[in-house]
Amino acid sequence: MPALLRDFPKPDTEVAMAVQTLTTAVPFSGTQRMTLTLSALLLGVFLVYGAGLANSAVLHDTAHDTRHSYGFPCH
Amino acid sequence: MIIRLLLAAIVAGLVSGVLMTGAQELKVTPLILHAEQYETGRAVGHSADVSSPALILLGELFNPIDHAFAHADGEEDSAILLGLDRLGGTLMANLVTGAGFSLILLAASLMAGNRITLRTGVLWGAAGWLVFQFLPAIGLPPELPGFPAADLGERQIWWMATVVLSAIALYFLVLRNEPWAKALGVVVMAAPHLYGAPRPIDISSDVPALLGAEFAVAALATTAFFWVVLGLLLGGAVDRFGRA
Repeated sequence: MPALLRDFPKPDTEVAMAVQTLTTAVPFSGTQRMTLTLSALLLGVFLVYGAGLANSAVLHDTAHDTRHSYGFPCH
Repeated sequence: MIIRLLLAAIVAGLVSGVLMTGAQELKVTPLILHAEQYETGRAVGHSADVSSPALILLGELFNPIDHAFAHADGEEDSAILLGLDRLGGTLMANLVTGAGFSLILLAASLMAGNRITLRTGVLWGAAGWLVFQFLPAIGLPPELPGFPAADLGERQIWWMATVVLSAIALYFLVLRNEPWAKALGVVVMAAPHLYGAPRPIDISSDVPALLGAEFAVAALATTAFFWVVLGLLLGGAVDRFGRA
């Protein structure tokens, strides 16, 4: 089982198998997984907020057409 | 490993951002430029005429009115980061947005415990489109410059709340099998729309309705393209780099 997230169980089934998978085969520890999730989420939200929502004139003017295209509230 | 996956997700987002820029230039930007002629009464796009970014930045320090709020009132100049032209600014914003959405999609698949792969990438991309584009658009349709709109802060708060609630709703609807979870998903998805998006008091506009209709469809169509491409690329990247 080489992969980080492969064949993850459905939440209401195969939980025991999932635990086994996580503990025996996945090279990622729970902490590493949490680190990956949180860093991806925080960095992603930071980037999207900066490009799409931040109330800065320079950012707004640079991203103007992008904000309209993605339907971010603008103006 | 963590860094490698993060970088792979960022690259998938950057590539999607480049492709999105092409789709935008083809279908969306012409409509924005057209609408701006009605917005300002001039045949000049308000972001197109950059004289000296440094001077403008200096001026903004002493200008109490934020351009983000002001430019429907016929602003004269605008400042784009690094002195880029309009297309350059859009490309840069698309790169940042693409990388951001890609990282959020990766984090969502990790949190949901359902791996994004090349095979499931289209579905994850479609989920991203529903959450960030289509469901918020029910209350706040993609708007052209010059369209009437309610207070910016209120709309942004409603938009963010709708995105978060829609993501939670999709989790319950798609990834949980219990009947109560399906019901809860429907309720959570409908909640922001029952509450209602902020509406402008006066809905009259100089921008023709036909342009607005074309723009709403073009914006949703090009972002659908973006999210499908992003889902596929991110799925492929996780397939490739999620291994030990």
